[in-house]
This record gives sequence, C-alpha cells and structure tokens, in this order.
Amino acid sequence: MKPGFRQSMAWLHTWSGLLVGWVLFAVFLTGTAAYLRPEISLWMRPELEVTRPGPDIAPRLMEAMARLAPGSPNWSIGMPTARDPVARVFWRDPQAPNRRGFRDAALHPATGEVLTARATRGGEFFYRFHFDLHYMSPIVARWIVSACAMFMLVAIISGIVTHRRIFADFFTFRPGKGQRSWLDGHAVAAVLALPYHLMITYTGLVTLMFLTMPWGAQLAYKGDRAAMNADIFGNAPVTRPAGRPAPLVGIGPLVEEAARRWEGSSVGRITVQNPGDARATIQLVRQDSERISFNPQSLLFDGTTGALISATGEAALPAAETRGVMYGLHVGRFAGPLLRGLFLLSGLAGSVMVATGCILWAVKMRQQAAKRGRVGFGTRLVEHLNVAAIAGLPVAMGAFFWANRLLPAQMEGRAEWEIHLFFAAWGLCLLHPLLRRGRQAWVEQLGLGALLFGLLPLLNLLVTRRHLGITLAEGDWIRAGFDLGLLAIGGALGAIAWMVARPKVAGARAERTAASPLATAEAAE
Amino acid sequence: MMLLALALPYAGFTALCLAMERHHEQVLGRRRIAPGLRRLLRLAGWLLLLASPLPCLALAGWGGGSVLWCGMLTAAALLLTLSLPYAPRLAAALALALPALGLVLAS
Repeated sequence: MKPGFRQSMAWLHTWSGLLVGWVLFAVFLTGTAAYLRPEISLWMRPELEVTRPGPDIAPRLMEAMARLAPGSPNWSIGMPTARDPVARVFWRDPQAPNRRGFRDAALHPATGEVLTARATRGGEFFYRFHFDLHYMSPIVARWIVSACAMFMLVAIISGIVTHRRIFADFFTFRPGKGQRSWLDGHAVAAVLALPYHLMITYTGLVTLMFLTMPWGAQLAYKGDRAAMNADIFGNAPVTRPAGRPAPLVGIGPLVEEAARRWEGSSVGRITVQNPGDARATIQLVRQDSERISFNPQSLLFDGTTGALISATGEAALPAAETRGVMYGLHVGRFAGPLLRGLFLLSGLAGSVMVATGCILWAVKMRQQAAKRGRVGFGTRLVEHLNVAAIAGLPVAMGAFFWANRLLPAQMEGRAEWEIHLFFAAWGLCLLHPLLRRGRQAWVEQLGLGALLFGLLPLLNLLVTRRHLGITLAEGDWIRAGFDLGLLAIGGALGAIAWMVARPKVAGARAERTAASPLATAEAAE
Repeated sequence: MMLLALALPYAGFTALCLAMERHHEQVLGRRRIAPGLRRLLRLAGWLLLLASPLPCLALAGWGGGSVLWCGMLTAAALLLTLSLPYAPRLAAALALALPALGLVLAS
C-alpha cells in the first residue's frame, strides 16, 4: 500500500530530525548562550571594572593606540558599550609571534589605559562554536552546520504537516504521563515558538550563504573577493602606505560628522590604516545595536585631512538590505534587554524541542524493541548518544566556567585550556553511559550539571572579588544577573534530574489524573 | 507598556483557550460551554490578539515592534500552556490581572 502524504512526512520528520538532532541541540544551546556573548565575556574576566564610558572617549582611545601600537599599519578599536563596558582593540604587529600578526587588548573606557585580565575566549567561544565547531577547519564546520540547518528546516516543515492537531492541542501540556508528556512538550516547544524556529533556521542558512551558494557572487565579482567584501561587509579597501610621515587628524570632528549622518547614532568601531603616514585612512562603523539590519554603515575619511572619502551602506540595495535584515534578526544584536530575554526564551524552547524530539525517538524505539523482545544495538546507541549530547553539554559548559575560575591566571595557553576542559568534560559524559545504564546515566549527568552551575556563585565567593555579595552591593548588574542566572540554571537542571529520578512519582500522578473527571472525559472522546 | 505587551496576547490566548471544552473544564470544572459564551470568548480572544501588536509597535516601532510582538506571542502562549496543568485557576485569573496591572502601569 502506498503510504499517505502525512505518513511520508512523519517518516521524513523522524529521520531528518534524528540524523542531525545531536549537532542541532549543541548549535541551538550554544547559539542561545551567544545572545549573552558580552555578558559571558565580562563575567569570565572578573578583573575588569565596570565604568561608564566617558563622553569624549574616542580621542583618548586614539592616543592610547598611538602609544600601544607604534609602527603598526592597522588599528581597530571596538568602542565600549553599556553591555560590554571596555574598549576592545586589536592591531597588526609585524613582530607578533602568531601567524596573522595580530595583538589585542582591552582598554579602560574613560582613561584609555590597558586593562589586564585573565586570558579567556569568554562568550566568544560559544558564539564561534555554534557555527565553527572546534578542532576542525571552520569551513568544514560551517558546511556541517549548514547541512544540519537545512535538515532542521525540513524537520520543521514536515513536523508542521505531521502534527494534525496544531490548533486543537495548541494549549495542551499534560505532565507526568510518560511518552504523552514528552510528545506534548515537544509540540509545545515547537508550535508556540514556531515563528522563532523558522526565523532562526532560515536566517542561519542565510548567514552562511556566501559559503554554501557562492556562484552568484563569484559571477558578479569575477572572483574579486576584496571588492565583494568591501561592497557587502563595508570593509575598507586596503591602501599601501606612501612612506611619507604625516600626523593623524583629530578624531573628534569625524565622530561628530558620523553622528550627524547617522541621526545621532554612535560609532561602534574605528579602523585606522597606515596611521602616521600621508596615506592614512580612518573608517568609522556605525554601532550595530541600533538597527535591525546588519548591513554595516561606515564612513571612510582621509586620515591626514579629515575629508570624507566615501560612505557605504547608507542606501543599501534591496537584496543587500534583505540579507542585512535576516542577518540582523539572526544575531539579534539590535535587541534591547526585553527582546533579548524573549530571544533567550525562544532559543531555550528550540533546545527543548530538539532534545525532546531525540528522546521521543529513543522512547519509541524502546517500545518497538520491547515488542520484539530484544533491544538492538541501534536503540542503545541512540539512548547513549542522547544522554551525552543532551545532559552532557550543560556539564561541559559548567566545566568551561569552572576552568575559567580555577586555572592559574598566568598559565601558558590558558584560553585554549578552558576549551580543552570543555571538551574533556563532554568526552567523559560520552563515556559515562557505558558504565551507568539508562535512567541512572541521565540522573547523574543532569545532577552533575546542576551542581556545576549551582555552585559557581559559591566558587566565585571563594576565588574572586566579584561575588554576589559585592556585585549586588555595587550595582554591577551584569555580573550579579549572570550569577543569579547560573543559580537558576542549576536549579532547573536539578529539578529535571529529580523528575527523571522519580518515575514512581510521575506514575502516581498519572494515576491520580486518570481518576479525575478530565481524564475520563478524554478517554470517552 | 512592556507589561501590556505581554498581557494582551496572554488574555487573548486565555479567552480562546477557555472557548475549548478541554481547557474550559480544566479551569471551570464544566465541560459544556453555552454557545453564546463560546462565541463571546472567541470574539474577545481574537480582538485581544488583534490589538496585541499595538503596545509592541508603540515600544519599538514597525521593525523592532513586529519582532517583539512575535516574541511576546510565544512568551504569552508558553506561560499559559505551562501553567495551565499546574495552576489552572491562577492561569485564568492572570488573564484578568495582567491587563489591569498593565493599564495602570501604562497610564
């Protein structure tokens, strides 16, 4: 018999979801964490003071760069913001040991002096990991993530078709009823945040489209990547130094000019090429938190006269603006605290959707196996990987934060070791279900995650001066909020562990509801 | 205004939810809904949902406001759906309390 449309879609949904579910869960959860990239970075550098940026900070920072990077052909200054209250600068140093010759530093937002903090990738790690993965070429990783996102889109659409009671079950969540609860949870997380899931998956594909579908751009630019990057990303064209020294023009009037052109908006980044040379240029890029579209608007000035050379991104073409809006929606940098909170909530719903989907698959396989009377290798493999991928990732993230607090500040390769420990913890979570079967493995890993997150504020009290007692009193809301958030995550993981550990309670509740009129009425349906 | 942005879709969803037999019984203990009441609940629900973008647009303009609205719909529906099985009466009462509080705070 030929299977119906819905059955085919159900098959597609199951398999497209399962094939990539584990990668998707990691991408979703770390991507959700990336909404808090500056906050995580600040929390992971407890040495940094939080000070309000001074009013005329740009000239200070330019002076600081002249002291810091004499003879450098290239500076870039990320201006301090309310969320990330230090200036993040990097510059090309011909003598630098690393391959691309870049050095970086954090500068005080009012005085411009160099701030020292422990070496860490901070929130940048989660952001990068969610499309570059790790321990592999970023190009390969982006292909993998793109393919997974494509499967995700297929799973979402086929899921909508498969779910025959979207409206009838719109508000339906029945906890404590075994498989039905998982299915309800999966549907609730999927349907109620559906606009977000569609948006984030589709726009995620768009962010990587120049990699996965390069042909149009290759044809239009005839392989000239520099010209393409200048047009699309607003990168200033590279100019060669003239070899004649000439002083840099004062930055103040340029910043004022930018504010005038951008309706009072602030400058997010200052890029200087060939400072001190007659062919110096200064590029000002608009703060990306002030509009949805992520088409960078920038102004390019002559570095010695201050004359405006060109303005990019002011009147973006429709296709470029479409891409800009999609990119902007994906990264959500325009979002204020309220909208960012909603993005976080929706991202978590997405993680729950993927996790419950993977778990449902294993539950169904287990039932079929029980009918056959034999549990096959495939079922055990899926169950095993589910534990490691879903419960193991929070453990790894917790280990990353613990490493940040416990590794010696002066350690060689410290930032990399934080990441190695993230993967080491995850690797152990992958081995752990070999020793402890089924529910036990879930409970232990979830419980460990709860302990790691829940105890972090306490560890803070022991090893840093930025613990809740001080941050709350000083009004350091970013760090205090982060600590409280860690406590909440610890509590949530603990609650899930507790619920998984006590199936008897869940069973009893199901019986109780079965005795209620509601359940009998449902049974009569 | 922020609270109102959440309260309007929450109240709208709750009205639509109460127009469904399963949830009507969950909250009020009766499965039967009088046809007039059902029509009234549906109408109120859709009107509230129709009005729900307004606070978002007032807060964040057309671009940001429409994104905010989608987020608020999700947050409101999640709040309602996840609290219904645990505290059905409280969930329904919130549909009256939230808009009232939102109006007070917004005025």
